[in-house]
Amino acid sequence: MEKLLVVYITLGYPSIEKFTQFISQVGDCGASYIEVGIPPSFAKYDGPAIRRSYEYVKSLGINAENVLKIVAKNSSAPVIALTYLDDYVNNLDEFAEKMLSTGIEYVLLPDLLIDYVDMYRDIVNTLHKYGIKTTMFVSSSTPDKLIAEASKHSKPFLYFGLRPATGIPLPVDPVILVTRARKLVQNKLVVGFGLSIKDIEKVVKAGADGIAVGTAIIEAIEKSDVEKALELVKELRGVLDDL
Amino acid sequence: MVNIQEVNKYLYKYREEILPKYWYNIIPDLPKPLPPPMDPKDTNSRIELLQRILPKEVIKQQFTIDRFVKIPEEILEKYVVVGRPTPLFRAIGLEKFLDTPARIYFKYEGALPTGSHKVNTAIAQVYYAYSENVEGVTTETGAGQWGSAVALASSLYRLKSIVFMVKTSYDHKPARRSLIEFYGAEVVPSPSKITRFGRSLLENNPDHPGSLGIAISEAIEYALEHGYRYVMGSVIDVVLLHQTIIGLEAMRQMELIGEEPDIIVACVGGGSNFAGLAYPFIGLRNKGKRFIAVGSAEVPKFSKGEYRYDYPDTAGLLPLLKMITLGKDFVPPPIYSGGLRYHGLAPSLSLLIRERVVEAIEYREVEVYKAARIFAETQGIVPAPESAHAVKAVIDIALEARKRNEKITILFNLSGHGLLDIDNYKSMMIRYGRF
Repeated sequence: MEKLLVVYITLGYPSIEKFTQFISQVGDCGASYIEVGIPPSFAKYDGPAIRRSYEYVKSLGINAENVLKIVAKNSSAPVIALTYLDDYVNNLDEFAEKMLSTGIEYVLLPDLLIDYVDMYRDIVNTLHKYGIKTTMFVSSSTPDKLIAEASKHSKPFLYFGLRPATGIPLPVDPVILVTRARKLVQNKLVVGFGLSIKDIEKVVKAGADGIAVGTAIIEAIEKSDVEKALELVKELRGVLDDL
Repeated sequence: MVNIQEVNKYLYKYREEILPKYWYNIIPDLPKPLPPPMDPKDTNSRIELLQRILPKEVIKQQFTIDRFVKIPEEILEKYVVVGRPTPLFRAIGLEKFLDTPARIYFKYEGALPTGSHKVNTAIAQVYYAYSENVEGVTTETGAGQWGSAVALASSLYRLKSIVFMVKTSYDHKPARRSLIEFYGAEVVPSPSKITRFGRSLLENNPDHPGSLGIAISEAIEYALEHGYRYVMGSVIDVVLLHQTIIGLEAMRQMELIGEEPDIIVACVGGGSNFAGLAYPFIGLRNKGKRFIAVGSAEVPKFSKGEYRYDYPDTAGLLPLLKMITLGKDFVPPPIYSGGLRYHGLAPSLSLLIRERVVEAIEYREVEVYKAARIFAETQGIVPAPESAHAVKAVIDIALEARKRNEKITILFNLSGHGLLDIDNYKSMMIRYGRF
């Protein structure tokens, strides 16, 4: 079975044109899913690079709903919208309707199991009622029981973050972390957060079904351009296919 | 005649049986996910900063999900050098005085050379810095407990240590300062002239009194500029992890005498001595047990604190932690339990209190003072003013047990002795009377 490659990009980054080019080509470069970050009011669990991209996009003053419609029309792989529940917890129905009208099928809320763990089932049920699927995000500090339970509500895979913030290469042992998560879930397991190329083989051998990449994409665009980021996606696809 | 070889064999066997080979990590056994450290809005990444100032292994342990973390031989050896395992006492004198059916046991961390539990994590963190071949470590100290623990740990590994001591303490706690220097550390009054931050403060006010927040900032700046590592005294998970040696030893010691505690008690500043004793029991053997964290009513974080993201340090240099906090700018009244003045509480302990796994109570200084006197007069040990909070709670529980005629077993952490705080007790005697 082909290993999953989940590629992150911030909505409308670095410009609407470049962003559209990226999402329309990234599937052919090897991405299995595109994770699109909708700028939240506070990206509390994101690292510096992704935070910078949010601030930049906000300064451009883009309309998220309009750009999401572009996404649905142009994306070259299935899309997962990522945003913080903080901004929508009081108007969840409106949020679900908006996602539905823009043609988004999957939603990932990184703060759901951290700040809203007591009510996460209700939130998941509400979204499911609208036909929105939830991609659950768990991290290394999520207790065993909750990882196993949350996985059952997660589609198209369970997202497992190895580090407490994106993109900062804190020294963790990916193999131990993935081995543990693998034992807990039946679902497809995608691992992200600060992976280096040499980690990829290790986490896949430890049982991961795929990897997610975000910060490296944003940094490639910051330093160069979307072409460079697309090349990186091709390279990662190559690494995964060679395993 | 005493056979020395036999005695040595016995001591070795005792140590082997009691001293654990692993620390215990409560994270995978928490009832809910621990909110991760967070970077504040619109600033440089504080999480990234951690990576540049802490030893790699310390960061790894901070974020590990392993239930048991192996203690390296080099650390175990130093634990033995400083006197681990520490003794477990039964407080017979106190029991008699209270005329209680309760059996009271305490783990005596004051038996360690610097007089408190602090050295348990200082040894571990300094060892990991030492194994990275750095020249030295830096840290901050308020009243001096932590500073002396780091100074001792550094001398054990023959590493340089620079302790930034809050200027007012530097001037008014000469005994602690001398102790730190006696262990070979360099003590620098903070604000100091050896950091940019210190110099900028002194330029505006040459008589700046300093604060713990400023001392932390200076220790971090010095570590960054000179390739040193920075060591942390409480609050973060890795410090709590190292302290679990207290509870793991106690668990074994209680087993050997056929006892199982019903109630476990410890005082709380940042949370490390409470976690040290209680976490192994909470995570591994909690059935039917009560866990009681005792704080200071003058620093009312349990009754008035909020559960939210806040800075662990006054300067706001470290990542935000979700914890029970009075706010980083909380100014405590001048109580003598320096270790309990801290505004926040370790994230994992905050969560356990929120989830009602751990009960929390607070006592006023005058009540604590009386308890300390009772303990000294019935047991002989002068408790540290911090640890005397736990003593006060234990006395109340034991008296309650007398009323109900309950034969319960209490275990508490006497996290330090108070011989270096005797001036503080003197001042309490003057204020509150001799009784």
